[in-house]
Amino acid sequence: MRWLFSCMLLALLGAVQALSSSGQRLLVILEDEAEREKYSVLLEDLSSRGFHTTVQSPKADKLSLFKHGARAYDHVILLPAKSKGLGPALTANQFLDFMNNEGNVIVALSSDHATPSSVQSLLLELDIHVPSDKGALVVDHFNYDSTSAADKHDVLLLPFPKAIRPDVKNYFAGEGLIAVPRAVGQTLGNESPLILPVLRAPSTAYSYNPKDEADVVEDPFATGEQLNIVSSLQAHNSARLTVVGSAELLQNKWFAEKATINGQAVKTANRDFVQKVTAWTFKETGVLKIGKLLHYNNERVSKKLNTSVAIPEHNPKIYRIKEDVAFQIEVSEYEIDHLAPFLPVENDALQLEFSMLSPFHRLNLTPLSQTANATIFGVSFRTPDQHGIFNFRINFRRPFLTNLDEKRQVTVRHFAHDEWPRSWQISGAWVWIGGIWVTVVAWVGFVALWLYSAPTTNSVKKTQ
Amino acid sequence: MAPKSRVPEKSSVSTSSAPKAKKAGSADAQQIVQDVWSKYVNKTPQRVKLLDSFMVFLIVVGVLQFVYCLIVGNFPFNAFLSGFSATVGQFVLTASLRIQTNPENKAEFESISHERAFADFVFGSLILHFFCINFIN
Repeated sequence: MRWLFSCMLLALLGAVQALSSSGQRLLVILEDEAEREKYSVLLEDLSSRGFHTTVQSPKADKLSLFKHGARAYDHVILLPAKSKGLGPALTANQFLDFMNNEGNVIVALSSDHATPSSVQSLLLELDIHVPSDKGALVVDHFNYDSTSAADKHDVLLLPFPKAIRPDVKNYFAGEGLIAVPRAVGQTLGNESPLILPVLRAPSTAYSYNPKDEADVVEDPFATGEQLNIVSSLQAHNSARLTVVGSAELLQNKWFAEKATINGQAVKTANRDFVQKVTAWTFKETGVLKIGKLLHYNNERVSKKLNTSVAIPEHNPKIYRIKEDVAFQIEVSEYEIDHLAPFLPVENDALQLEFSMLSPFHRLNLTPLSQTANATIFGVSFRTPDQHGIFNFRINFRRPFLTNLDEKRQVTVRHFAHDEWPRSWQISGAWVWIGGIWVTVVAWVGFVALWLYSAPTTNSVKKTQ
Repeated sequence: MAPKSRVPEKSSVSTSSAPKAKKAGSADAQQIVQDVWSKYVNKTPQRVKLLDSFMVFLIVVGVLQFVYCLIVGNFPFNAFLSGFSATVGQFVLTASLRIQTNPENKAEFESISHERAFADFVFGSLILHFFCINFIN
């Protein structure tokens, strides 16, 4: 009954928010109203995808990420501003609080403007490092656009990123070349498992500051694939932050610009890439949802799958040790505007842990069937020979996918007194059964003889 | 005088023929066993003999079960415990019945009649059998 209700609630929620899985209120922080024109295509694209966009200057009086202690917006795009400070409403702490409340942030940097100090400390907090000097940008003498940057080589033309690992789904794949004009490269710290590169600079790129007078770049900020043009962070609560190194990448000018690379004329595919980056950051893609979760005793019932008729009791609170248990879970993935069945990448698997402090079982869940918007995963196993309080736990953390961590607590009891096999069913016990019955029969015989021999004893006594 | 005469006698026996003495000793032992046995057969009341033979039977059954456990293993351990303790418990109960009904102990158990002792024995045995059968499951 409970899952039915939650399913209905889910369907209702789905009907209400036709688009992003985590809300539509979008705040764009833009200092100069005149610059709004430059981003008009991006803003139109976003509102056509269902976002309610508010454009605010960081100096606006009423600007606040929170209202009455709750998030006032679901997503924020922070575009570069001329002023070095962003004001009291946009401190690093405010952004972190915003993310702690599951808000998503896109930070766009620009080499024309110094990175605001609050953004710098925010990124430092997240272990993403940007060059501290104003004007540092990424240059590549091999992958530049010779139409617009024939001399300076600071407009890079890069292919769409590949999957960062073979077992990770790529949410940023596409056709064509992305123009990256005058980007601020970032390097990612090694400590945090939460940060991920989205678009890396090619191996021939390096970061340098054109204001340096020196002919030779000494001690560059970073080189090659260490430099990230676009990097991202997904917090433990699945809030997402994306750092776009080049704000110009988001501008209309580069969305479908003619460019030349190594003598070949190409058209930039920035619009497609920006659509993918914003869709991922604002949780239109890569969002997992758990639907119906079911576990039941698999003994003494017909083993039909997912038919509630055949199963006597859903999600019982108590199991016995060494008992066959079946577990099923529905997982769906949000794709732009609907929930679709989720399937892990080929070399990956969703796993179920049956754990008390530490897992006693960690089992791969196999996809059993699919509904219109969910995959049903299932596994059957035997409870371990250990009684106590156990958890069915799904803990699924993968790059670019929201974290799944779902627990169901059950008690596992020991055998009841009448659940052990009877003694005669164990052939090893037959000798001792025989021992008992021989003793009993001999005792009965002895009692009979004793009673029978009573007068004889008297006569013996008399004779004595 | 007697001690004087006795000492040389002893020494002569020990020095002259040790094997003879041994033979005599074994003969003595046999004699003793036979005496004990005949005395037991003749002078023990029949009920006590019945008790004794039942106790010997219980010892044999218990030893067999224990040996089986040593050889084969104690797998259903509760079965071994109940089987073995059935014989041990029955032995203890029988022994107490023997103590209480033996005519030689009459002075000590004047207040307990044989009928009363026997009833206690039956009651205790029934409880023991119930526990053992329940425990072996």
